[in-house]
Amino acid sequence: MFKLRYSVIYLSLIAGIILMILPLPESVKTYRPDWVALILIYWSMALPKRVGLLAAFIAGILVDVSQGTLLGQHALALVIIIFINQNFYQRIRVLSLVQQALYVFLLLFINQIVTVWVEGFLGRPTPFHAFLGAPVIGMLIWPWVFVTLRDIRRKAHLS
Amino acid sequence: MNQLRSQSRGTTVQAVLLAIVSIVLMFVDQRFNHLEVVRSNISVALTPLRYLVSLPAHTGNWAGEWFTSFRDLVNENSNLKADSRILNARLQKMQVLQAENTRLRNLLGSSAKVADEVIVAELLSVDQNPYRQLIEINKGTLDGVEIGQAVIDAYGVMGQVIHVNQHTSTTILISDPEHAIPVQFIRNGMRSVAFGNGSSDQLELRYLPATADIRINDELVTSGLGGRFPADYPVATVVAINEDLIHGFVSVLVKPQARLDSSREVLIIKPRNSPSPR
Repeated sequence: MFKLRYSVIYLSLIAGIILMILPLPESVKTYRPDWVALILIYWSMALPKRVGLLAAFIAGILVDVSQGTLLGQHALALVIIIFINQNFYQRIRVLSLVQQALYVFLLLFINQIVTVWVEGFLGRPTPFHAFLGAPVIGMLIWPWVFVTLRDIRRKAHLS
Repeated sequence: MNQLRSQSRGTTVQAVLLAIVSIVLMFVDQRFNHLEVVRSNISVALTPLRYLVSLPAHTGNWAGEWFTSFRDLVNENSNLKADSRILNARLQKMQVLQAENTRLRNLLGSSAKVADEVIVAELLSVDQNPYRQLIEINKGTLDGVEIGQAVIDAYGVMGQVIHVNQHTSTTILISDPEHAIPVQFIRNGMRSVAFGNGSSDQLELRYLPATADIRINDELVTSGLGGRFPADYPVATVVAINEDLIHGFVSVLVKPQARLDSSREVLIIKPRNSPSPR
């Protein structure tokens, strides 16, 4: 069942992790979109049988290790949003990119809420302006992410 | 429609299960540190990614060095030689002072202070959680780094090691909101604790009594209490004193000596002895 073409999915997730650890200037760090979440949302919409909750969990653990956050923090957030996505993607797939972007914003916002809520639990409150920045930027780049990954998926003949 | 419904029910179970696993993991990671090994092993897999991301910054530095003019190098060389001569001269004096210090301590019956061994390391240019102040350095267990070791740069204390992998380690900086470092005023020996608050140019001394003798530009060094940081390393200087006369406390803001956001080379201190009580 393992075909080399599917490695494209994992490579794109690794690219996502790389984008998460790319050094950015201090002032814009908190506006970095959650690349791994975006890429995961796309693949779970396009290939729901292949990329599901387990993939979300594993990706989340990898993000936790690379970010130095508590093991399971991002895993929980990603599992929650991919679960929501699994129940709604069929209705969302047919919408325009702009409408999809709004839906993606909601997912990213929930992703952010869960992560920030855990941080709050540990006694590390997050400034509010920073909290909203990343999902907004993620929403704005969603059309680009969608189109790029869709082209990659088509070139690799995955469906 | 039925197929869709049963499909979503199956995934609900899976989702709840994974969510519970995540929560348990977080709990265990936070409370018990058992997951250090797991984290370290997964981190090994991510090491090539970290080096890859760090590559542009390092290549930039290397290219900059490669293209420096010959004259600049000659000048830099003679400046460094002059600095080295001055430092060596001071070092001779310090060795005499150290010997005298050991003799005096022996007279008083205290144990001697032993110089700490250091490991030189470089920062990897990778970003971590933007709400914390964590840095990644390129030395790990294979180089003798252990959890809890203090990390300093040329100017002062930077932080301590919190995770180690084989080739890299994660250090928490003193400016991290979760970090507190025991300090001592050089001028009058008063002890306090400096809390990080997320900004790399400011730490806070909290809950000092309003009668405390503090002045702007007072210097703070590590006090060695708590056993984490060896004593007498520079930490910060006082920049502002905010009085809260209603409650009778002052909150003091201090500026760290270490270049927390720009240092690239750091030293990790391997303590030979536990610090002697003062």
